[in-house]
Order: sequence, then C-alpha cells, then structure tokens
Amino acid sequence: MMLLSESARMILVAPPAYLDPGSGSFLLQLLLAGILGGAFIVRSQWTRIKAFFRRLFRRGSSSEEHEQ
Amino acid sequence: MSSNLRSGSSFRDPSGFLFARGGILYRQVNHSYRPTYDRLIDSGLYHELVDAGELIPHDVARVAPAEPRLASLVLQPERLTFVSYPYEWSFSQLKDAALLTLTLQKRAVARGLCLKDASAYNIQFHQGRPLLIDSLSFDVWKEGVPWVAYRQFCQHFLAPLALMARVDVRLGLMLRLYIDGLPLDLTGRLLPGSTRLQPGLLTHVHLHAASQRRFAGTAPASHTSARMSRNALLGLIDSLESTVRGLTWSPGGTDWADYESTHNYSPAALEHKRHLVAGYLAKVRPSLTWDLGANVGTFSRLAAEAGSATIAFDVDPSAVELHYRRCRSEGESRVLPLLLDLTNPSPAQGWDHAERLSLAERGPADAVMALALVHHLAIANNVPLALLAETFAGYGRALIVEFVPKSDPQVQRLLASREDIFPDYTVEGFERAFRSTHRIRSEDKIEDTDRILFWMEKR
Repeated sequence: MMLLSESARMILVAPPAYLDPGSGSFLLQLLLAGILGGAFIVRSQWTRIKAFFRRLFRRGSSSEEHEQ
Repeated sequence: MSSNLRSGSSFRDPSGFLFARGGILYRQVNHSYRPTYDRLIDSGLYHELVDAGELIPHDVARVAPAEPRLASLVLQPERLTFVSYPYEWSFSQLKDAALLTLTLQKRAVARGLCLKDASAYNIQFHQGRPLLIDSLSFDVWKEGVPWVAYRQFCQHFLAPLALMARVDVRLGLMLRLYIDGLPLDLTGRLLPGSTRLQPGLLTHVHLHAASQRRFAGTAPASHTSARMSRNALLGLIDSLESTVRGLTWSPGGTDWADYESTHNYSPAALEHKRHLVAGYLAKVRPSLTWDLGANVGTFSRLAAEAGSATIAFDVDPSAVELHYRRCRSEGESRVLPLLLDLTNPSPAQGWDHAERLSLAERGPADAVMALALVHHLAIANNVPLALLAETFAGYGRALIVEFVPKSDPQVQRLLASREDIFPDYTVEGFERAFRSTHRIRSEDKIEDTDRILFWMEKR
C-alpha cells in the first residue's frame, strides 16, 4: 500500500507533459523496468563481469595445479 | 508594425511556439517553460548538443514577442534551407533520425534532463546531417517516471522502420496517412509473425500494442507500484537503440537503382550533358536548386558544385537511399536527397491543412532541373506539356529541362506497351507549350543523342 501511494505520488508530481504518454506505454515501461534496468547494468558492467569470471577461473585452475 | 505569422505546426506544446516576422522565423519561449530553458543552458546540454551538431543553434533575439502576455524570451534559430518530412526520407534517413533522437535522450538524461517528445517532425536534415530543431523539447528528468515520449518514438520511428525493413520499404509512406506515427496495433498486424521472436520488436511493437489495448483509458498508478529507475530508463534507450540498429534494408529490386550504370548515354553524350548543365548553372547561379527526378544525384552534384543547396527528389526509394548513403559517406552536405512522387507530391496536411506544408508551399527554388524526366511525366503519366510547364514555373525561376523525343529508346520503351496518343509530343510542341510560361534562354542538342537541353527563365 505504501509502495502504491509512492508510485501514485511520483506520477502525480511528474512534470506536466503536453504529450499523452498513453497508459499502456507508461505501464509497459514500468512492468519491464526490472528487466531493462538489469540488462543495462549487465551490459554496462560487462567488462568487469568478464574480468571477474576470468579471475575466478584462473584462481580455480591455479589451485588445481597446487593440488597436483 | 510588422505582422506575426504563427506557424501552423506549432500549437501543441504550451512551452512556446514558432512565428515568422519580416521573413525571419522566431521561437517564443513562454514563462511556463523558462526554468526548463534555463536548465538546458545552465546544465551545459545546449552547448554539448550544438557542438556535436545535434541541436539547431539559436540566438536570443531582442525583438518583441508575438504573444507578450505569455512570453519570457524570443529565440532566433539558425535558418533551415528546406523543411522535409519523414514520409519523404529514405530508410537510412529515418534510421539516422531515430538514432539521433535516442542519442539526444541519453545525453539529456546524463545532465538531468530528458526529451519530452520524440516526434520525427522535430528532426530536420541540415547541412547533410539530422538535427533536432525544437529547442523546447527538453524537460527536467524525474527519477521514477517512465519516458513520456516512448509511445511517440515507437510510432514515429520504430514502427515505420520495422515495416520498411521487414515487409516493404514503400510502407514508409504510411507516415503520410498517420500524422502522429503509425499505430502499433496496425504495425503489429502487418509485420510477419517471426518478428515476435525478436526481443526488441516483440517488446516495443507487439507487447506495446497489447499493453495499449489492455490498459486503454486507465490510470497507470492504479496498476503497479513499480518505478522507472535511471538504469531502467537507460536500459530502455539501449534496447530501442539495438532494435533500431538491427533493422536494415538494402536497395535492389526497384525500377531505377541501376539506372546510372545502364542508361543509354555514351560517355561522350554524358560528358556533353554535364558540360551543358554546368554551363547553365554557372549563368543562373542559384542558391537553392530542386533537382526533380534526380536518381542517384549525378547532376545534383553539379548544382552543389555551382554553390547551390540542392534538394534531389526521386520517386524510387532505392535511388534515394543510394544517393543519401553516397552523400553521407562523401560528406556532401549541400545535397539533400528526398523521396517524392511528382505525380502525387506531398500535400498540405494536419490540422487545418497547415501542420505539414505541401511541396509547392515549400518553394519556389531559384532553379529547377528536370533531366530525363519529361517523358516519364508526359507519356507514362499522360500529363499535358502545358500543365508541366505551369507546374515547373511554380516550382522555380530558372528551369533546366531535357526533352527526350519519341525516337529515343527510352521513350520507345514507354510507348511499346501502349497506344501513342501524344501527337504534340515533339520538340515544336514542347517549345510551344513552355513558351507561354517561360522564356527560352538556350537550347542545345546533346551530342550522340536526339535529346535537347533547354535553359529557360520563368516569364
């Protein structure tokens, strides 16, 4: 309930737009917000994510070498 | 006191409007928009965009506003040579305009603003590049709120590009029917089913249309508690950008794209024609030329080299596309290729027929070129020569026109499948028809052909 009123408040205080954004177009963005935001983070952090896994694998393979 | 002429296309946005006075175009900024305008300037966004050639530069004008009661400021934007409309653009022109709109939105968000509209009509081609012409298109961005112009972007850009790329390039002309962009439900029905397997088109066209149907007439706040984070907004722009980039179309299959390589001029004839046209242009010295039936722009280039801004019209989407790509890759900023069917040119339309100007209303040019064109209009389309002369006289002062006689193989080809009902289609008939509207200044036979070039001036 808290969240709902927060959301309603956000939309009510939005700058007065002369363009009708359309309810369906507005809601589709809100419904997809999580996926879109997640995809953006993954994409913008992609080099760091790759580097993290590379390090992880390297560490894994070097520890295997130690075990031998 | 000089009178103000308020632009017929500038009434939707209460932030301000365009008006003309003494032949100069101004933009009034209303009090209600002044804080946002100041933010555009103070945030550095205006200078960033102008430096990048993405927004039209303006000066603050020290002139009386058109509506003093509302006015806070009057701007004088840099003058455009010619206003063109999305239904006159080739595929790549519309795609470049779409990508520019998304770039503008990204740059705006980075500085705490956003685009409050995404109308394709706010983009114009200026000195060879697309740019935003409406300096009042920005708003202060508030985290949590979805992009107000998302629907407009999809209707004005994504839908026509998808139809052009995935169904038929000629569907871009549907923009002429729907002034606020193509309805997404209609677009979804026209697209092949396989587009539902592409995440971008699935989301922004098919699901978007379904969402519009499902939530029509309801208030967004009653359905969800979700907010649009900054990352979500940037993710949306990213997704739209990769969807637009993924849409491609390459010319081929339409009538004339290979015209340049297959037309029936000998090298000597072509050289002579070039020489004659360049000679006329040197005498006319136009600052604006309309090249009608420009194909891929061989002769438009001559007008540009003579120092004229040149609008190169052609009816064939492939030719316009090839011409635009060529201008873009060679940095030819003086020529603007556009799609136009002269037998049914762009009409005046929108509210009160005043939002989008007809072709004739956007003239006249200093010079009109109609090379290897008259036979297509007079024989393939039955336009009487006298009507042709009148229309050309309306389009511009000087006329460089080529008469292609019946003995020419191109005309023979047009007459092969139909009865010859054109007894007046002779050089004498042509001159007679044009003498009522024009003065013939020069008349030269093109070497190696039966064709005749004329330089005429409107009476």
